[in-house]
Amino acid sequence: MASFLPQFQSIKTSSDHVVLAVEDVSDLWPVIKKGFEERLPFKRVSLNNKTRNPVLVDELPAEFILTTDARLRSRFPQEQALFWFREPYATIVLVTCEVKFTVSIALFQLISLSSAWLRPLALREQLDLDEFKNILKPRLKLIVQNDEREWFIVFVSKAPAHNDQATKMAKKVYAKIEVDFSSKKRERCCKLDMHGPDANFWEDLETKIMECIKNTLDRRIQFYEEEIRKLSEQRFMPVWNFCNFFILKESLAFMFEIAHLHEDALREYDELELCYLETVNVVGKQREFGGVEREDDQATLLDPGKKALTQIVQDDSFREFEFRQYLFACQAKLLFKLRRPFEVASRGYSFIISFSKALTLHESILPFCMREVWVITACLALINETASYYEDGLAAPDVEKEFYRVQGELYTLCRTKFMRLGYVIGYGLNIERSPVNSASLSMLPWPKPAVWPSIPPDASSQVLAKEKMILQESPRPKHFGIQRKPLPLEPSVLLREANRRRASLSAGNMSELLDGRPIANDGSGLLSPLSKVNSISMTRNLSSPGNFDGSIDRPMRLAEIYVASEHALRNTISSAELLKSLSSVEEFEQKYLDLTKGAANNYHRSWWKRHGVVLDGEIAAVYHKHENYNFAANLYEKVCALYSGEGWQNLLAEVLPNLAECQKILNDQAGYLSSCVRLLSLDKGLFLTKERQAFQSEVVRLAHSEMEHPVPLDVSSLITFSGNQGPPLALCDGDPGTLSVTLWSGFPDDITLESLSLTLIATHNTDEGAKAIKSSDAIVLRPGRNNITLSLPPQKPGSYVLGVLTGQIGQLRFRSHSFSKGGPADTDDFMSDEKPTRPILKVAKPRSLVDLAAAVSSALLMNESQWVGIIVKPIKYSLKGAILHIDSGPGLRINETQEIEIEKHEVGSQKESNLGIPQEDTLSTPSSEAKQLTLEDGKIKLPDWTSNITSVLWVPLQAVSDGLPKGTPAGTGVPQGQSIVDGLRTIALKLDFGVSHNQSFDKTIAVHFTDPFHVSIRVADKCNDGTLLLQVMLQSQVKASLTISDAWLDLQDGFAHAGKGDGRPASSLFPLIVSPKSRAGILFSICLADTQAKDEAKELHPDSILNIRYRISGSRNLGAHSPVAKELTGPDNDEAQNLTFKSAIELQRPVLDPCLAVGFLPLPSSGLRVGQLVTMKWRVERLKDSVENVASDNLDEVLYEVNVNSENWMIAGRKRGYVSLSTKQGSRIVISILCLPLVAGYVRPPQLGLPNVDEANISCNPPGPHLICVLPPPLSSSYCIPAA
Amino acid sequence: MIVCVAVVGHQNNPLYIQSFTEADDALKLHHIVHCSLDVVDERVNNPKKSGPTLNETFLGLLYPTENYKVYGYLTNTKVKFILVTTDLDVRDADVRNFFRKFHAAYVDAVSNPFHVPGKKITSRTFAERVSTIVKSFGLSSAS
Repeated sequence: MASFLPQFQSIKTSSDHVVLAVEDVSDLWPVIKKGFEERLPFKRVSLNNKTRNPVLVDELPAEFILTTDARLRSRFPQEQALFWFREPYATIVLVTCEVKFTVSIALFQLISLSSAWLRPLALREQLDLDEFKNILKPRLKLIVQNDEREWFIVFVSKAPAHNDQATKMAKKVYAKIEVDFSSKKRERCCKLDMHGPDANFWEDLETKIMECIKNTLDRRIQFYEEEIRKLSEQRFMPVWNFCNFFILKESLAFMFEIAHLHEDALREYDELELCYLETVNVVGKQREFGGVEREDDQATLLDPGKKALTQIVQDDSFREFEFRQYLFACQAKLLFKLRRPFEVASRGYSFIISFSKALTLHESILPFCMREVWVITACLALINETASYYEDGLAAPDVEKEFYRVQGELYTLCRTKFMRLGYVIGYGLNIERSPVNSASLSMLPWPKPAVWPSIPPDASSQVLAKEKMILQESPRPKHFGIQRKPLPLEPSVLLREANRRRASLSAGNMSELLDGRPIANDGSGLLSPLSKVNSISMTRNLSSPGNFDGSIDRPMRLAEIYVASEHALRNTISSAELLKSLSSVEEFEQKYLDLTKGAANNYHRSWWKRHGVVLDGEIAAVYHKHENYNFAANLYEKVCALYSGEGWQNLLAEVLPNLAECQKILNDQAGYLSSCVRLLSLDKGLFLTKERQAFQSEVVRLAHSEMEHPVPLDVSSLITFSGNQGPPLALCDGDPGTLSVTLWSGFPDDITLESLSLTLIATHNTDEGAKAIKSSDAIVLRPGRNNITLSLPPQKPGSYVLGVLTGQIGQLRFRSHSFSKGGPADTDDFMSDEKPTRPILKVAKPRSLVDLAAAVSSALLMNESQWVGIIVKPIKYSLKGAILHIDSGPGLRINETQEIEIEKHEVGSQKESNLGIPQEDTLSTPSSEAKQLTLEDGKIKLPDWTSNITSVLWVPLQAVSDGLPKGTPAGTGVPQGQSIVDGLRTIALKLDFGVSHNQSFDKTIAVHFTDPFHVSIRVADKCNDGTLLLQVMLQSQVKASLTISDAWLDLQDGFAHAGKGDGRPASSLFPLIVSPKSRAGILFSICLADTQAKDEAKELHPDSILNIRYRISGSRNLGAHSPVAKELTGPDNDEAQNLTFKSAIELQRPVLDPCLAVGFLPLPSSGLRVGQLVTMKWRVERLKDSVENVASDNLDEVLYEVNVNSENWMIAGRKRGYVSLSTKQGSRIVISILCLPLVAGYVRPPQLGLPNVDEANISCNPPGPHLICVLPPPLSSSYCIPAA
Repeated sequence: MIVCVAVVGHQNNPLYIQSFTEADDALKLHHIVHCSLDVVDERVNNPKKSGPTLNETFLGLLYPTENYKVYGYLTNTKVKFILVTTDLDVRDADVRNFFRKFHAAYVDAVSNPFHVPGKKITSRTFAERVSTIVKSFGLSSAS
């Protein structure tokens, strides 16, 4: 069957669409051909696929071929079965009915299609229906039964519309045909009315054709399936012939393709490929691989017709090299037809990878570097082809991204292989030793030809040229003098590999012997990091003549290897384009750039952004090399952004110096500066100190000299800052402060900052902009940790965190957002979004920082100079440098001659006040030592030692009170309230304090002043001789012990001292000590004096004055104390300390004794009634002898008068009159008055008055008026008796 | 042979990267690890593609290149583990096993209270443990 292969190929090329056979003898076809062919290709056709599922085919091309056509002439049955796909899929039988003839003629014609002998019958003019039925029908049936074709009848009616008879006839015949050939299951007839409406005909026709095609297809699929199944059962048997299987399988695939069932066709090819791979490498069958022919290096994976299958037949199968490419090409063709170029790309990529592996297996028999060349051509072909088929928007976005990714991969693969080829022929120096190139090349094994190509004869000039090239090329020095070991591009040293591959053929493996090191252990790049210079020197060692025996192949020098490889490659490569690309360094670089760009651009459009950006870096390297700095810088920037964005510092360190160099050359100062700073901020281990110093010197140089305008720059990763450890600085509202900040400098050397400022951000108040605090002084930052202090103006209350650090180095304005966590500067500043929220500064809400209070609450001495204590109590706040303003209020003056004292407040509050201040301070302050201060302009500066402790300021003050205190009669009590208000004085205090006197505290304190004693008097006793004993009671009003040394009375007029007459007390008890709050009494004996002289002196002495000379011994801490000594140097201290207290006492002349007493005698017990007379009785009694009327007779006329309310009472008798009363003591008289109460109730009784006698001389009993009860009048029945 | 293992943080920043080649060519491995993040990203961002394996930590083979293989592993905290091997026929089970051990070592390392999350892993113990795991790679299944 394999012999059918050529035929099969030719059939495949000739028939590529569905064939429909048309049976036509009566020349109907030319008439209707146009109409039929207009229907082609069929649109939206539903066909069944292999699994009998309907598939909608958008467009199905087909061709109508007459059965008489040569193409449908009979073939050999076997051939027919094998290539069944090209047989007609439907047979259309054309039947007509001409007007001239009867229908039957047409039918005869139909029958005559396959039976020429019936033709005479057709000529018959008349044939009735019976005859048709009897003769033709069986014949027709025979045809359709015998044949496996799918057929149907098209009845063409030529009957004109106006010819009723013809139309009728046609209808009749058609009906007959229908009856005969259509069955219930299947309609096999349709009618084309040439002159009539044909609306339904074409639809009908199409349906019928499709039905036929579908059926045919089904049947053929079944057939092929069956055949294939049979064959594949023998797959592992020796009789197996892959070619046969292939023909069947591909026939089926081709049939699907014809039917536009591309999916199914693709599946067949997939299965075919699987089956091939399964059987091709069966052990024991050594087959040729292929790939050794000319132009085999150019991949044919997209061109199925590149090489005829017949050429690649190998025994009963095909050569792998060509056949696998053929299969892929077929698949690709179908996928393109399915509009799935992305699938071609992705399948293609895996195909290339797997095929490349297959090539590796056969590398020893293939031409030198065949694999690399094939991969390059395959990738390029795939890229171009898929890209040309691909339109944007063809696929879903994710598929599109995937497509571009695969394109990128293909480019990358191609690029890798291209670099490898370039390296092998000596362009290695032009390949950037970047991580990406190193990654793709250094792990990729060298080509392993059976023998490394040897130098062609007459190549000495080329060798020289190469050698020259090697010597001339020196690695481009990196900017900043950075020296790095170049990354390896070679899996092992090419020199050794090449020589080994040659030497292994000869007796000794010389290169191995030379090295004394087994090659097998030569891992990837043991020697590769050796610099180029070393390689070259090694070359020379090896090339030194005379060391080798002439009989053994002399090891090749590197240049020779290059030349030999180039020569071998020229033999391998058939593509002129590729040859050209490898022909010179320039061409090589151009191609390299194209491939890199292609890869990068495609990656950019895929998910694999990193791949794209990294390749951009490679493009940049080429531009850089060719001094196209602008492009290079742009691309490098992208790469750097990628690496730095994700914190890949090692990779960044590789690229950033290049960017910096470009920027420097481009005079992009800002960019260059930024790059230098970024270089500095990289991990310290990535560069040598020398290199880092070079970066810094560049920064400083630029910042100070070259730039015209200030350049802003972010140095977050280079200069980091943090607050100091420990609690945040706490400030009170309105206070300035000093903020200490730790700066970490990443510079390798000291660097001078011209200015520095730091913003503070309030944590809770975001509306407030960040406030900057500045340090305008130049600051020298040492490498590593630095402590900086910044003065802080007053801030609003709240807590603050550090914001941004800004500063200036020359013209460079830098800022840093980064915080170091304290401790050693973290090199990995990548996670800088973790902002520490630890506040650096807390400004407290306004609170009282200090308190002023009076030291004592008890009263001080009035009119004496007294120490008034003012307690100054700082509340956790230093009062350093505080100034106190003292403004004494009215009635109070400061004793300015006296210095003010200050001392530590010692009372129980000491504990509190010591809280929060360091212990040292307490120790250092003079504990209770008083300090003298002077008052200037009402201001006092508080000493520093009091700044943190509660202190008492003693101010000498004198309360002035003009009036003399008054004594009160005993028993009336002390009118305290009055005296307290009198003694109250106020002092207005104002304290200016705080670091810059920004704080102020105002307070007015009240101080009580009082007299030492409250004086009360009473007459203790009255002697018969008229001497009065006046008791003066002294109530101490102060919390101090008072010692009375003397006391005397200056009496007012009308009184005189009894006894000695010096006004001193009756008995001398002095000194008399009065304890605080206790009482003492002094007795004075006085008598009433003559009142004769009183007129003159009356106004001079309205009151008596009590003088008390006393001393006070009290503590100023408690209250009253001895006055501030004015002159302690006075001659008599005792005298000086004696104070005099004066108090006015009002003495009243003794009240005269009442001489008359009036008593109201009790009323009758029966009670008073209205209208009932009652006798009111008063008794008047003389209490003492009337002194005045001594001379007169014994009787005295006393005038009386009854005072009464006339509304209540009626008096019977005289209201006023004289009664006589004896002047003798004890004489008495009763005055009776008859009265008549007028109203009932409680009424005032009549009163008896004695108008002539001074009221003072009357003693009344009861003394005041009272009420008496008057009952209503008794009921009088007489008035009430009604008239009978 | 495993040539490189790496831990990459959830922001794609390298946390730990260790190469096991004798040559001084770690940078190319940095590059491979870094670029393999593209694949991880792609898998994570395209749930459709990764399908049911999304919930699995093991990402499988990331790179089908000719000369080396890159495997990935993604933890729940989006920390990636990358393994680069030049061994071209590696069994998935071995790699899974490797990653499981590696993950355990990582968890122990970052549980150290002195380790700052998100910073590079500098623990020497971790490095030793990783190198032990690398050395034992493939041995357990072979026996």
